[in-house]
Amino acid sequence: MEQTIVDFVKVLRTAEVKVSPAETLDVMAAIEFVGYEDRALFKNTLSMLLAKNPEEKDTFETCFEKFFTFDDVMQAPVTGGTSDDAQDSDAFEDENSGDNPQGQPGGKGSGQGSGNASEAADAEASDEETPSPTSALGQLLLQGTRSDLMVSMAEAGRAVEVNEIVVFTQKGLYTRKIMDQMGLKGLQEEITERQETADRGEQRLAGKLKRARDQLRDQVRDYVEKQFFLHADEHGKQLREELLKKVKLSNLEKRNHKDVQEIVFKMAKKLVSIHSKRRKTHKRGQLDIRKTLRHNMQYDGVFFDLKWKSVKVDRPKVMCICDVSGSVSNYSRFLLMFLYSLAEIIPKVRSFAFSSDLGEVTRLFQSSNLEDAMAKTMRDYGNGSTDYGQMLEDFKRNCMDDVDNKTTIIILGDARNNHGDPKAEILREMYEKSKRVIWLNPEPRSNWLVGDAEMKKYGPNCHQTEVCNSLTHLERVVSNLLKYAA
Amino acid sequence: MLDALLARAAQQLPVASLNLIKRGSPLTLDRDEHLATIEAIHTGLAGLNYISNEQIATAVFLAYHLDKPVLIEGPPGVGKTELAKSVANMLGIACIRLQCYEGLDESKAIYEWKYGKQLLYTQVLKETLGEILDGAKGLTESVAKLHEFGDVFFSEEFLEPRPLMKALKEEAGCVLLIDEVDKSDHEFESLLLEMLSDYQLSIPEIGTIKANPDRKPLVFLTSNNTREISDALKRRCLHLYIPFPDADLESQIVQARVPEVPEELRRQLVTFIQALREMDLKKVPAISETIDWAKALILLHTESLDAELVKQTLNVILKFQEDIESVTGEVQMLTNKALKGS
Repeated sequence: MEQTIVDFVKVLRTAEVKVSPAETLDVMAAIEFVGYEDRALFKNTLSMLLAKNPEEKDTFETCFEKFFTFDDVMQAPVTGGTSDDAQDSDAFEDENSGDNPQGQPGGKGSGQGSGNASEAADAEASDEETPSPTSALGQLLLQGTRSDLMVSMAEAGRAVEVNEIVVFTQKGLYTRKIMDQMGLKGLQEEITERQETADRGEQRLAGKLKRARDQLRDQVRDYVEKQFFLHADEHGKQLREELLKKVKLSNLEKRNHKDVQEIVFKMAKKLVSIHSKRRKTHKRGQLDIRKTLRHNMQYDGVFFDLKWKSVKVDRPKVMCICDVSGSVSNYSRFLLMFLYSLAEIIPKVRSFAFSSDLGEVTRLFQSSNLEDAMAKTMRDYGNGSTDYGQMLEDFKRNCMDDVDNKTTIIILGDARNNHGDPKAEILREMYEKSKRVIWLNPEPRSNWLVGDAEMKKYGPNCHQTEVCNSLTHLERVVSNLLKYAA
Repeated sequence: MLDALLARAAQQLPVASLNLIKRGSPLTLDRDEHLATIEAIHTGLAGLNYISNEQIATAVFLAYHLDKPVLIEGPPGVGKTELAKSVANMLGIACIRLQCYEGLDESKAIYEWKYGKQLLYTQVLKETLGEILDGAKGLTESVAKLHEFGDVFFSEEFLEPRPLMKALKEEAGCVLLIDEVDKSDHEFESLLLEMLSDYQLSIPEIGTIKANPDRKPLVFLTSNNTREISDALKRRCLHLYIPFPDADLESQIVQARVPEVPEELRRQLVTFIQALREMDLKKVPAISETIDWAKALILLHTESLDAELVKQTLNVILKFQEDIESVTGEVQMLTNKALKGS
């Protein structure tokens, strides 16, 4: 059982539930009290000890159901098995394997489990003189119970380390390996041997064994597939996520948007948990008299442990100006997505969109979901040639009064102004008034000065200019934004 | 000798805060019995009108048998705090509550020295101190003599225990409720770690204070999820998530808490509340609101819901004007649905 728990923990970890070794030990200790006979109790216990927030509980739920479910693995596809068939097979089984210890409950389940026997039963139900197989696997197939077979399969699976499976194409390989481990060779030999004899009974048994073997192969394949989904699927997903994080956002295809959105939320969540602790900076030189008095009471009022005033670091106040013209819209989309996922730690985000005229879209994003908001933004502001000068002018006219020394302004755009008037002096004004102006440019630095790009004029009027064309870049920018908010 | 003097001084002084009296409450014998099986917990809590579900009972069971604290999360008003209180009631032991807030620190959570008392005693004992040091020559000898008496002024008599320490010192065991731990600072969480994993606290001047090993306090922490609790803390706890109850459970809860409500009305109001939870509201009504509403309806001698009445009492279940406004339009439809008994 311990090994099983460890395996399960491994599955949870691939599914991004953080489980520490100490928690694994806790589970072992807990199982001593609750046992594992009562499935619901067992599940509740594990859920309490391993999954520690609502999202993890959900993941846990699916993992548990996948991992600790054995019945359906053994359910061979019912091939035209009417209830009569099942009945027959039941009778047959009882005769044939009287040593069946548990006597399976419910004719239906048993009928499915021994679908192979059912076919044989149809053919020769009345014939009693069936010799019993000699090879270990053959015996197990024809006489063992479903759970015996399952246990044997799981053991073989563990022996060949099926949980190391990584890619889809390995399924055949592992199926083969498990079959070998279970003693396929012995079974094969037996089948060949029996087929060569003249005795009808022997031959019939060989046929039966053959069918059972094919059935078993299907089951093993099924089992390997399950294991693949359990172990490798998440692994593959992680790989994909890593890739998506690095890929250029403009190269993303529409079908990937959903994945990327998920990643953005995940990254945002990480940032939230890192930065949710509000930092304090000490204002040196200002004595906090109240605190000092209180603290020094224990020294009879002698002030030898002084307390200084400290100020909590404010959450950044962000104004985000996004170019939504064709070339850059994808970047804007994900930047906005990022910022709005961080609402918990950056509550004051105002966002603006422009291609030529600037418009505020804050409300749009707050009231509707990202997809809709983005689509509307594109519709309203996405047309027209980019005009940075116009944008800056609009900003000056409408929002300059709201900029104070706590505001961080993020401008996302390629600064390609179609040879219009850049109006860098307005940016200068913003630079002087705000706390920080950060320019994010999706183009590589070498292209910043080529053609109609105006980065040469805009660059010096920003506190920071950054290349930003993948999720990793975005994450870094936002993280810095929070870190240096002081 | 100094101790004796202290005792004398204590007699002479009418110090009210001198609560050295040990509360010798007998050990609760039926504690183990109540916690022996999950069913026992279930029925025990039900007897106190706390209707638990499988998870809740399992959590209490495991908390006791594994000596682990329980971190309870869930939306406000689903009975997180109530659970701790009910468990204490069921076991007949004290429930010590520590309400967390921003700025809570060790002097308010663990212990504090009684400065006043320390000062007072030093004043009173000034002369006696002279007598003790009478024979000593020079500073070194006097100090050496004083050292013989140890740190009298930093002994337990001068310690003001705060909830965490009180819980450890409770001989008969107790329920320690650390309420809304998410409201406290990050630093405070770290302070709790020693307490939660080893049931002990270290005080530099005195040493380590440990809980009675057979009667460790049952610790419940509650959190409203306003922020993520640190992994270190979570790791040491059992994690119990209490969601809003389904209609069946909620109906049972209302019945247990407000038995006066006739069955028909109870079904209606539970259906109504469940429908409200489906709506997009700023704050959806929790169980506590359901119970309040049930009580209010009883006071108004209601037999059956009707739209007008619901509109008037909507402020009992909804706490934001926006929500009330957005629901008012739907009341007729919701009431009809509740009356029909979907």
